[in-house]
Amino acid sequence: MSIFSLSAFGSLAKRAALAAALSAFGAAAALAQAASGEPVTIGVSGPLTGPNAQYGAQWKKGFDLALEEVNAKGGVKGRPLQYVFEDSQADPRQTVAIAQKFVSDPKIVVEVGDFSSTASMAASSIYQRAGLVQFGFTNSHPNFTKGGDYIWSNSVSQADEQPRLAKYAADLGFKHLAVLYLNTDWGRASEKIFGEAAKGYGMDVVASEGYQPDEKDFRSTLVRVRDAKPDAIVLISYYADGALITRQIRSVGLTTPIVASGSIYSPKFIELAGEAGNGVYTESNFFPGDSRPEVQNFVAKFRAKYNEEPDDFNAVAYDTIILLADVMNQYGIDRTAIRDGLAKIKDVPSVIYGKATFDPQTRRVAGARAVYLVVKNGQFTLWDGKKPSAG
Amino acid sequence: MSSFIDYTVNGLVVGNIYALLAVGLALIFGVANLINFAHGSVYTFGAYIGWAAVTFLHTPLPVTMLIVFVACAGLGVVIERVGLRPLQGKARIAPLLATIGLSFVLDQLVQLVFSPDPRAVPSDLPDWRLAVGDGSIGAMDILIAAVGLASAALLYVFLRFTKLGFAVRATAQDREAAQQMGVNVDAVNSAVFAIASALGGLSGLLVGMYYNHIDPAMSFQATLKGVVAQVIGGVGNVPGAIVGSLLLGLTESYGIALLGTTYRNLFAFVLLIAFLLWLPNGLFGGRATIQSEPLVGSFIAPSRPIRLPRWAVAALALAAFALPLATSAPYLLQTLTNAWLAAMLALSLTLIAGTAGQISFGHAGLLAIGGYASALLALDLGAPPILSIPAAGLITAGLGALLVFPAFRLRGHYIAIATLAIGEIVSLVILNWEGLTGGAMGLTGIPPLSFLGQDIFSNRAIYWLCLAIVVSLAALQARFLNSHFGRTLRAVREDEIAARSYGIKLDRYKGLAFAFGGFGAGVSGAIAAHLYSYLNNQTFDSQLSLLALTMVILGGMGNVLGAIVGAVALVGLPELFRVAAEYRILIYGVVLLLLIRFRPQGLLGTV
Repeated sequence: MSIFSLSAFGSLAKRAALAAALSAFGAAAALAQAASGEPVTIGVSGPLTGPNAQYGAQWKKGFDLALEEVNAKGGVKGRPLQYVFEDSQADPRQTVAIAQKFVSDPKIVVEVGDFSSTASMAASSIYQRAGLVQFGFTNSHPNFTKGGDYIWSNSVSQADEQPRLAKYAADLGFKHLAVLYLNTDWGRASEKIFGEAAKGYGMDVVASEGYQPDEKDFRSTLVRVRDAKPDAIVLISYYADGALITRQIRSVGLTTPIVASGSIYSPKFIELAGEAGNGVYTESNFFPGDSRPEVQNFVAKFRAKYNEEPDDFNAVAYDTIILLADVMNQYGIDRTAIRDGLAKIKDVPSVIYGKATFDPQTRRVAGARAVYLVVKNGQFTLWDGKKPSAG
Repeated sequence: MSSFIDYTVNGLVVGNIYALLAVGLALIFGVANLINFAHGSVYTFGAYIGWAAVTFLHTPLPVTMLIVFVACAGLGVVIERVGLRPLQGKARIAPLLATIGLSFVLDQLVQLVFSPDPRAVPSDLPDWRLAVGDGSIGAMDILIAAVGLASAALLYVFLRFTKLGFAVRATAQDREAAQQMGVNVDAVNSAVFAIASALGGLSGLLVGMYYNHIDPAMSFQATLKGVVAQVIGGVGNVPGAIVGSLLLGLTESYGIALLGTTYRNLFAFVLLIAFLLWLPNGLFGGRATIQSEPLVGSFIAPSRPIRLPRWAVAALALAAFALPLATSAPYLLQTLTNAWLAAMLALSLTLIAGTAGQISFGHAGLLAIGGYASALLALDLGAPPILSIPAAGLITAGLGALLVFPAFRLRGHYIAIATLAIGEIVSLVILNWEGLTGGAMGLTGIPPLSFLGQDIFSNRAIYWLCLAIVVSLAALQARFLNSHFGRTLRAVREDEIAARSYGIKLDRYKGLAFAFGGFGAGVSGAIAAHLYSYLNNQTFDSQLSLLALTMVILGGMGNVLGAIVGAVALVGLPELFRVAAEYRILIYGVVLLLLIRFRPQGLLGTV
């Protein structure tokens, strides 16, 4: 059996490895004069195959862009920064093996990922005991950073995000909300916080429906929603499922306004939702039209490199590498120094936060920026403050 | 009342979509007697071909449909010729596995070529809608229904009145007899795969346009719903597949109306189980269907197992125990620990599927029961893991046997589908029973493994613990196989009627097999729970059930040592292929296909 795998796939595997190496080292190689010496390695654990593969692909774009920038400015302490990306399929059985691989590899100074909480939290105790920082940047599960003092996250906390969404709905003048949420740890936690916040603003949630990540059809769910007579539908969704629901809301003839959580913010949402996307209210931590220099710098470079619009996942991935490079430059390039540095570092320029500073107690960042947006003519635009006419 | 009409219409609309999938699956099952797990992948492939045609060539809809139809028919011919024809005459399990391997390969190819990002598939259909009740149906709904009905009608005419159709029906009834009468059976199979795949691809395109959304991960759900629908209609029955699909759509829609969206799939799988229990032939299946189902014995490749001498097995075990003394590389030890956990699962499945012949597609459900049982005992009652793990094993043994008990009278493919549904039901109950399981938020803070109040974190200690459990379970199971119990189980597998006429109580022995197997799987899930410290409904997903089955077949059905070898290989191979990054699952699929092709009885042979 090993004979088959070697003879038939040796060259394929080699080519694949080469391709992976090229993308990882591309930045470092092109700018060798800027940073030189032994490269500094970040270990990434994330999905490159399996049902969440698209998010791993988005991460890579953000990482590569950030590395180019970091290495052009001399890398970390004069050494080039690079990452190795281990495919976990966001499967807890594989993340624990990857964790052991990373903790026992002295070249890895910090770990980034994994995508889902299921996969990340299974590996947390390995990172914690080995004293290697596990930096989860998409892990909003409220218990993620409780894994220990080596577990950090700059993922936007839903405790920040959802009350803001609720306020937006209140500002828009809605009173009765129907909530559709992705039935994962993220969606469920968000839905709870949102519901409480909505009550605080004097609104009531008249229907709340959780749906599975692989759900494609929402017509019957929408009958339930319609019968609850909401004056707005709230989506706690990612961009793909959010777009699916938005289309179906319009195609079954409902004209109820839609308010969606910031996680739908992606050019893909517009593409997938088509016409139906127009009029959707959302808010985002990241908006390319934002005039802050960090945002403009990121957006310009991203467009130049990939010839497409960046989304939320690109932005957090980019932010994470910039942040870690900054920590290493200021506090040193070993595992403990990075942990200590995360607690000390202040006001790192960030696309998502403006300036990011960790709370050393919760090991999270508070105060993500946000703007109110509305989709007009197939584009996300800043909300003009106009309330929708009652519908 | 008007809502009731809306739910009905919506149910029919969704059922309509399932019907397109189910018709293709039914056709293949009818002729090749095979659940085609690659059908969903062909569906995905068709959707992407259509997307490429619309996006790059700006083809109008009829042309796009034609392109997809031809491309997928071609793909069907290739699948049959390359993937399945070489397996003719081999065990019936071989083509089933080959379709699983093919689906890995196809899905990964689609993902590599088209990127994992979801795509929008615009359609140029007019945007008019017809009001029904308070809702409406659109042009796309009508097109899908028309394609579904037209293909069923055309198939009916084709099967009933054409020469090739006669040949197809003859082959479906009795392959050997058809061959003797001069039917070119290979050509018939090829034609059937071409037709079914063309339909599958077309449905991918239409569903993609309907939702304006395609992604490479959509194939598994599509296969699952298609299989459920065609079992309800009566396996292998084309009109049945359509009616079954509509019934499935309606049940889901009414389920949502009654309890809410998160219960949708629960209703779907409970409906399936109900049918398997009371109407296993489905709505339209005649009595003949179940009789043409082969006895389970022929499901498994007969072979002379490779027997390692006792001293060699002992030496291997010793070497495994000594390994942590030679190296402390945590990555290696962790990977092997994962392999031992998988081996417990594979041992359990090889007993149930291999020795007793009850192919189980829902084994991840047993892991989940074990994991949650131990975690809850530790979290809620403060039980130390040394008690909670064996208790979880016992709970899984009891609950596992009890859950599958109603399905004991099913055989062959049917028990496979029933266990698949039971596995999904377990996972959905975990998702929805928030009060007990935490639902999607899961259980956090599960205490680590410990002994006499001392927490165990050492990689070596965990490795030894898991290995010791595997060795004891394996020794016990090997002992069983050579006893009266093992012989009886094999008798049940080979011929249930003969076994019963010798006075064997079938239910009792199947129950014992599930209980013993459930214990091992439960212990494996329980240890995993304490190692990960976090569980939710996705920790043990249905992909894991398929992986477990692959391990067992790789090692050789019923073969104790084979199960362990299979687990080590299938946990180890993807790790070895890590350098290949995005390509690794593709390589894994190809290796699997080659193995089925050249060694269908598994590495060590069936017992």
